Amino acid sequence: MKRRDFLWSHGGGLGGIALAHLLGQESLLQGAQPRPEFNGGIHHPARAKRVVQLFMSGAASQCDTFDYKPLLIKKGGEKWDPGEKVELFQSDPGVVMPCPWEWKQYGQCGKWVSSLLPHTAARVDDIAFVHSMIAKSNVHGPATFMQNTGFVLPGFPSMGAWISYALGSQNQNLPALVVFPDPRGFPPNGPANWSAGFLPAAHQATMIRAGSANPIHDLFPPDWAKFITPESERRTFDVLKQFNEAHRADREGDSRLEARIASYEMAARLQISAPEVLALDGETDATRTLYGIGDPATDDLGRRCLTARRLLERGVRFVQIWSGADNGFPRRNWDSHENLAKDHGEMGTALDKPMAGLLTDLKARGLLNDTIVYWTTEFGRMPCSQGSKGRDHNPFGFTSWLAGGGTKGGVSFGATDEWSYKAVDRPIYCYDVHATVLHLLGIDHTRLTYRHNGIDRRLTDVHGTVIRELLA
Amino acid sequence: MLPFLCALLASQAPPAPVSYQRDIRPIIASRCQMCHQQANRSGGVALDSPTGIASLQATLLAAVTGDPPKMPKAGKPLSAAQVSLLKKWFEEGAKDDSGKAAPVIWWSLRPIAKPAAPDTGDKNPLDRFIHAKLAEHKLTPSPEADRRTLIRRVTYDLHGLPPSPDETDAFAADNSPDAYERLVDRLLASPRYGERWARHWLDVAHYGDSHGYDKDKPRPNAWPYRDYVIRAFNQDKPYSRFVREQLAGDILYPEDPDGLIATGFIAAGPWDFVGHQELREKTTDKKITRTLDRDDMVTSAMSTFASMTVHCARCHDHKFDPIPQEDYYSVQAVFAGVDRADRPFDRDPAVYARRRALLARKRAVQIEMQPFLDKVEYATSAEIAALDASILDAKLLIAHIGTPKNSADAAEKKQLEARLAAETRRRKQLVDAIAGAETYAEIDRLTARKKEIDAELALLPAPEAVYAAASYFERAGNFRPSLVPRPVYVLARGSDQSPGKEASPGAMSAVAAIPARFTLSDSQDEGLRRAALAGWIVDRQNPLTWRSIVNRVWHYHFGAGIADSPNDFGRMGSLPSHPELLDWLAVWFRDDAGGSMKQLHRLIVTSATYRQSSANRAEAAKLDNDNRLLWRMNRSRLDAESLRDSVLAAAGKLDLAEGGPAVRMFYFKDDHSPVYDYSRFDPDAPGAHRRSIYRFIVRSVPDPFMDRMDCPDPSVFTPKRSTTLTAIQALANLNDPFIVRMSEHLAERVRNGPDPLSAAFRFTLGRAPPAAERALLEPYLQKNGLENYCRLLFNSNEFLFVD
Repeated sequence: MKRRDFLWSHGGGLGGIALAHLLGQESLLQGAQPRPEFNGGIHHPARAKRVVQLFMSGAASQCDTFDYKPLLIKKGGEKWDPGEKVELFQSDPGVVMPCPWEWKQYGQCGKWVSSLLPHTAARVDDIAFVHSMIAKSNVHGPATFMQNTGFVLPGFPSMGAWISYALGSQNQNLPALVVFPDPRGFPPNGPANWSAGFLPAAHQATMIRAGSANPIHDLFPPDWAKFITPESERRTFDVLKQFNEAHRADREGDSRLEARIASYEMAARLQISAPEVLALDGETDATRTLYGIGDPATDDLGRRCLTARRLLERGVRFVQIWSGADNGFPRRNWDSHENLAKDHGEMGTALDKPMAGLLTDLKARGLLNDTIVYWTTEFGRMPCSQGSKGRDHNPFGFTSWLAGGGTKGGVSFGATDEWSYKAVDRPIYCYDVHATVLHLLGIDHTRLTYRHNGIDRRLTDVHGTVIRELLA
Repeated sequence: MLPFLCALLASQAPPAPVSYQRDIRPIIASRCQMCHQQANRSGGVALDSPTGIASLQATLLAAVTGDPPKMPKAGKPLSAAQVSLLKKWFEEGAKDDSGKAAPVIWWSLRPIAKPAAPDTGDKNPLDRFIHAKLAEHKLTPSPEADRRTLIRRVTYDLHGLPPSPDETDAFAADNSPDAYERLVDRLLASPRYGERWARHWLDVAHYGDSHGYDKDKPRPNAWPYRDYVIRAFNQDKPYSRFVREQLAGDILYPEDPDGLIATGFIAAGPWDFVGHQELREKTTDKKITRTLDRDDMVTSAMSTFASMTVHCARCHDHKFDPIPQEDYYSVQAVFAGVDRADRPFDRDPAVYARRRALLARKRAVQIEMQPFLDKVEYATSAEIAALDASILDAKLLIAHIGTPKNSADAAEKKQLEARLAAETRRRKQLVDAIAGAETYAEIDRLTARKKEIDAELALLPAPEAVYAAASYFERAGNFRPSLVPRPVYVLARGSDQSPGKEASPGAMSAVAAIPARFTLSDSQDEGLRRAALAGWIVDRQNPLTWRSIVNRVWHYHFGAGIADSPNDFGRMGSLPSHPELLDWLAVWFRDDAGGSMKQLHRLIVTSATYRQSSANRAEAAKLDNDNRLLWRMNRSRLDAESLRDSVLAAAGKLDLAEGGPAVRMFYFKDDHSPVYDYSRFDPDAPGAHRRSIYRFIVRSVPDPFMDRMDCPDPSVFTPKRSTTLTAIQALANLNDPFIVRMSEHLAERVRNGPDPLSAAFRFTLGRAPPAAERALLEPYLQKNGLENYCRLLFNSNEFLFVD
C-alpha cells in the first residue's frame, strides 16, 4: 500500500491528522508530501528511496585512500612547500609524506585506489567520488556537526532527521532513522550529531548499540522486572487501550488522544519487528562471509553493515553507521596525528570488507538502484607529515563519495592540487552533497524548510547546488 | 481554521488604493529579496525598487501564480490576498509612494500605549479583551471547569506537579467564594513555583551542565545560575532587575553575589572547548571560534529579552526586519570583553568585597605583564619552529604509546622522553636569548606581585564558583582572557577573513525611541557595554521588552502565545491574535505590576478565560479549530519534567530537597570524551528522586527517557516545546527502568491499605475510580498484580494530559 494511501484512507478509525501527528509528518499537513507520481518524492521524481551513510569519525585521509597524487611519492621526505603560509590545527608543516600503501588502478574506470581498501576498490565502477570537499572548520566538533547538519554550531537537525521529516518512514513498524555508533564510543559531539535539533521528537534517531544486551533502549522492560511477562504484557496493552478509549470518549475532537492510543499499537509492532530485523541467523554463510562476519578484524562493522541492509530493505529511510569513536588514546578513530600507517591501517582493515560487502550485497539484491550509499568524514588530512609518522587536519581538501540511488558509477568530480592539499577544481562544502542526496530522494533542498525562531531553516542553510555531474 | 484566518485577513485588508510602501514592499522584502536584490540578483532579477518591480510585471505575476508557483522557492506560495494586492498595484499604475509615505512600522516596534479594555462587563480586564473578540467572531466562551480539573490544571501550571489527592478533595469541597484565589496564592508562595517557572526560563536560556561539542566536558559550576533563576522567581524579583542582573549584574550590583551569579545567563549555552583551549592564538580558526561564541551570546540576549532575530543579520542585513548588519556587530561588541569561565564568589559580603578588590589588583598586574609574556610566547626563529615541530611530535608519540605494551614500546617511550627533555631545554635557551634578560626581570617582578596577591587571596575562606561571563580568569591552555575588549568588525558575509569597519557597542537601530549606539564614559570598559545593553532592554520606551515577557508568560499558561512565536516578533513570526490585549498587558506589567511575575500569573490564572473548560464544542471548532480566540482552555500534555516529577510524586518518592550541584543521573567516567551512560544508572541511587530541574543536563548525550518526552536539546534556544506522540515514546513510558521501578514503589505504597486499587488510582489520577473503571481494572489487577496495574496507570492518557 502506498504510504499516502495508508495515511488518508486507513480504515481503523484513526484520522489522517492523528496518524500524521503520530508519525511526526507535519510536512504532510503543510502541503509537501510524498507523491506516487514522483515515485515517492515530494517535489520531483525520486531516484532513491533510502540512504545509508558511512561516517569516518576523526577525519579519514583522502591522500591515503582515494585521492591519488604521484607527486607525494616522488617528493617523499623532501621539504614541503605549497607556496603559501599554511596554518594547521596542531603543528607546523613537516616534510612531504607519501602514502604508506601501494596504489593501483581498478575497474573499468581505472580509478586509482590505495591498497588500504582493496575490497572497496573493486567496487569503484559503482562509486561517484567527490575529491574537492572543503570544511568550514578544522576542529573535529564543529566540522563533524557541519557534515551532519550543515552547521558548525550545535542544535541543528541531522540530515537523517530532515529526511525523516520530509519523507517519513516506509514501514510503520520500524523507525525512519537508525544510527549505529561505533561500539567503542561516540564520535566527537556524541549523539548530538544525529539530533533532531528543533524538529519534532518524532524525527529523533533510534540508536542501535550492536553487541549490547539491549541494542535498543527501552524496547523491552528491564530484565529485573520479573512481574512483567508476555501474558501480562498482552493484557496490559489490551486494558490500557480500553481505559484510554473511555477517557477519549469524553473528550471528542482531540486527535492527540487518538494518536497516543495508536502509538501503543505501533510500539507493540515494533517489539516484534525490531528483534526480527536485528537477528542475523537467517543470513547465509556466504552473505556473512561477504561482510567479514566471523573474522575478528571485520566482525563488528560486518554485523552493523549487514543489519543496515536488513533495515533498509524493510523500509528504514536513513541508516548512519559510524567508523570510529572519539579522538582519545589509544586511538579508536581515524584521527591519525601520530602514526597514520598503524591507525589508518587498523581502521581501514576493519571497514573495507564490510563496506564493500554492503555495496556488493545491495547491488546483488537490486537495492542499490534506489539506495544511496554516502561515505564521508569531517575533513581530510595533510599531505605533509606531522612529526615523523602522522598527518594533521586538512579542511582545505578531502574526499566523499556516493554510490547507487541514481548516481553515476566510476566518475570523479572536482580535484585537489598536485599535493592533495587544497581543492582547486570546483571546491564544494557539504551543502552540495546534501543537496544532491535530497535531490535524488525527490526533494528540492531549497524547499525543505522548518520555521524555527524566525528563520525558515534548511539542511543546506542558504547554500547548496545539486552536483549534476554525479547523476546517472 | 479557514474562516478565522479569512476573518483575520479581511480585517487587515488595506483600503484602496494599494500603496507600495505599505502593501507591496513588505511582500517583496519578506518573500523575494533574499535572492532578488542588487546584491545577489539571482537569475538576473533585482526587486529593490518599485520601478524594478514594475518593469517585471508579467514575469513576476506568472512566477507567483503558477500551479505550483515557481516562486518563491522557499516557503509557502504567496497568499491569494498578497497576489491580488500585487495585481491591483500593477493595475493602478505601480505608483511609488516610498518617498512620501511614513515608513511602515512593524507591530512589535510601535511604541506601546495602554488601550482601554472593551466594556464587556467582565471583572478581569483580560476577559474583556478575550470576550469582546469572541463576540466579534460570533463565538462564546466555555463554562468554568469543575473544581478537580481546575486544581489539577493550575497546580501543574504553577508547580509542574499534581495536587495531592487530599488537596484535591479539600478544594473540591471548599465552597467559599475565594477558594480558588486562596489556592492560587498558596501555590505562588511555594518554592515549587520557582522550580517550575525556572525550567521554562532555562529552556529559553539554553542552559546545560556540560560544554557540548567535541569532548563535552562537564561544567560543574553551572548550577548556581540555575538556582539563581529559581530564587528570582520565588522572590518575585522585578523583571527589569532580573534582566539587568543577567546581563550585567556583576557591574551593576557588585556587592550582591547574585549579580555575578546571574551572568551565568550569558555563559549558559554551549562552548567549543577544543576551539578555545587548543587552537593557537592569532589563527583564523581561533577568530572564528570567538565570533561564533559571541554569536551565541547575541542570539541569546536578543531572542530572550527582545524577541527579535538580530542573529539573522550576521552575514548580511536582516532579510525581513529592519536590522542592518552593523546592529548585529554592535551587539557582538557588547560581549567583546567576555568569555565563559568559572568565577569565584562568596556569600559573606565582607569576604566578597575583599576578594573583588584583590582580583581587580591581580587583573591590573596581568594587564601590565601580558606584553612581556607575549614576547616570550611569540619568540620564534627557524630553529625554534623546528624544535616546536619536534617537541609536539615527541609529545604525540608518547601519548600514542600510552602505557607501553612491550619492551620495544617502553624503550621507544624512554628515548622520546629524553629527546623531549633535551629539546625543551634547548628551546628555552633560544627563547631566552630572544626575549632578553630585561623581559624576564619584568616578568619576575610582576609575578612576585601576583604571588603576594595570591597569598592574600589564600587567607580568605574558600570561595564558591559559578560558570558565568568572565573578563578575567586564570589561563588554561590557549584559553585566556581578553583583558580589554577584543575589536569587533562588521564582517562581510559573516567571514572573519573579510573584516570591514570596526563596530561600536550598541543595539537595534529600529527601536526609534532609544539611541542605538551607546555613549560610554570609558569605551574600553567592557562592563559598561553590558550595563548599557541591559539599560537599553529595560528602558520603559523599549516596546519589544515588555511585549516579549508578557507574551512568554501567556504562552506557558495557555500553550500558545498571543503572538505564537515567543522568540520572534519580526515579519517571519506570528501576528498577535489579540494585539490590544498584548499591549494592555505589557503596560500593566511594566507600570501597574512593577514587573512582578507573580502579579501577572495571578491576573491570568484567575481570569474566566483561564478557568474555562477544555471540552470541545463542535460549532466553535468549526470557526476556530486552533482555538486562537480562546473559546475554551487548551488541553496540554505533560512536559518531560512534569511527567517524571509526577511519577515520583505518585510513587511517594519525590525528594523535595532544593538547590545545589546538579545530580548526575547517569554513570559517569571521565576520559578524553567523558562517558555519560544512562543505561548503567540505578533509578533509586542517591539523589535520583530529586525534581527534574536538578538533573545534570548533558549536551551531547541526552537522557533517553526525557529526550523521548520532548525534552529539548539544551543547545537549541527553545521558546516553545514541541509535543510529539510516537511509538518510541510509548516504549519509554512502558519500559524505562525509571517507570518500571516507580511502578514497584507505588505498588508498595498502596499494597497494605484497605483498597489498593483505589489508592493507586487516586495517587496517579487524583480521583476515585467509578464502578465502570473498577470493573475493567479489578480483573486486570487480580491477574497481573499491583506493579503491572501501577505501570498501566502511569501509561494512561489521563495521567499524561491536563484538561
